Amino acid sequence: MYPSVIDNYVRPKSVDEAIAAIVDGGEDAMFIAGGMSLMQAIKSRLVSPSCLVDLQDVSEIKGISSDDTGLRIGAMTRYREMANADKLRGAYGALVDAAAHVGDRQVRNRGTIGGSLCWNYIAACTPAACLGIGASVELVSRTGAKRTLVADDFLGSPLETAREDNEILVAVTLPTPEPNTGSAYKKWGLVADALPVVGVAVLVQTDAAGICLRARVAFSGLGDGPCRSAAAEQVLIGARADETSKIGEAFEAAAAELEVQADMWADEDYRRLLMRELGKEVTATAFNRAETGS
Amino acid sequence: MYKDVTITINGEEYQEHIPVRLLLVDFIRDVAGLTGTHVGCTYEGVCGACTIQIDSEAVKSCLMLAVQADGHEVATVEGLAQDGKLHPLQEEFNEHHALQCGYCTPGILMNAEEFLKENPDPSEDEIREALIGNLCRCTGYVNIVTAIKSAAEKMA
Repeated sequence: MYPSVIDNYVRPKSVDEAIAAIVDGGEDAMFIAGGMSLMQAIKSRLVSPSCLVDLQDVSEIKGISSDDTGLRIGAMTRYREMANADKLRGAYGALVDAAAHVGDRQVRNRGTIGGSLCWNYIAACTPAACLGIGASVELVSRTGAKRTLVADDFLGSPLETAREDNEILVAVTLPTPEPNTGSAYKKWGLVADALPVVGVAVLVQTDAAGICLRARVAFSGLGDGPCRSAAAEQVLIGARADETSKIGEAFEAAAAELEVQADMWADEDYRRLLMRELGKEVTATAFNRAETGS
Repeated sequence: MYKDVTITINGEEYQEHIPVRLLLVDFIRDVAGLTGTHVGCTYEGVCGACTIQIDSEAVKSCLMLAVQADGHEVATVEGLAQDGKLHPLQEEFNEHHALQCGYCTPGILMNAEEFLKENPDPSEDEIREALIGNLCRCTGYVNIVTAIKSAAEKMA
């Protein structure tokens, strides 16, 4: 496992410079963010970039900020920062849950949200967590044109996204949460903090009495890539935290609705069981956060 | 294909002309000649034996190209002891028999050193969680956890 020859390496200092560098680098140029997935792909020669455009010095796309409209997470924000971000707790706690258990602390020291979303690995936690909490992504292209896509439109099948080759993902944005909103994410893997065989992200928004007004349910680890379950979301609307049989029904519906693959880690039945069991647990946590705000 | 880099390792500057594809772990071992940083898993990023610190943060040096470390400060296990005196972690690993073959030890030390700065009074569970990225095939981890706990107490 070793990289093939890489012709060039550049380290731009701004988004504009980064876009110019990716265009100059030619067809096989690639951005490298934290590199925690990309370096594996380069060493195994799944990809052989001719030029790497390293984003480590593009400080304008680092860090978490907030304004009247909501939260903005720079694409180069690392897992370690998201795992400790008080701004994300409660409504967007799913992202904290996901970031806190990616790989190990060495990986969390370098891996970034933007890198994970653009790679969209089948067993990545961040894409499903972003889908579950209703995040959007901001992309900038050569002409300086900016476009914003909801995660549902950005994320495709595993390793596929709507990003064009000369586009750079600059930020993940989240609307200011409605009151009584909570979210959570949990994965199951073969060993502690392993890549998920299945992961579930749930967001609920309730009224003052704790009745669910809005729900989002998303899964990681499925062959079709990160995906939502409309059936589960439908069943959760109107439910309360203590209506465990109704919540159970929601994840029965998700497990029945979505395409589930068998592989060396889990057969179809076991994956469906994980979807149901994790789903109930994560929903309970999301309801609790909606109520307590943390 | 080649780039000029300046990488500081344990306070010493290395100015070199290196291939872009050279991994940081190989720069440390083969170019700088510091072989305390180990390769345990043929560069797959899973064993943690090559853990070093970049700008005081633990990372796996097989998951980076050396050119990415240009302009940065690298710390390896060779820099842990100061003026001939072992770091408390090294002393406690010795004291508690926290290694057998020792192959994984440098990576664990470099990870644990940063971890204890972040969490100077960790519980056993927190130590075990911090070790997820470091594989040890000899000890079963019990003595490693004890040694890290003991080093934390000593450093308090």
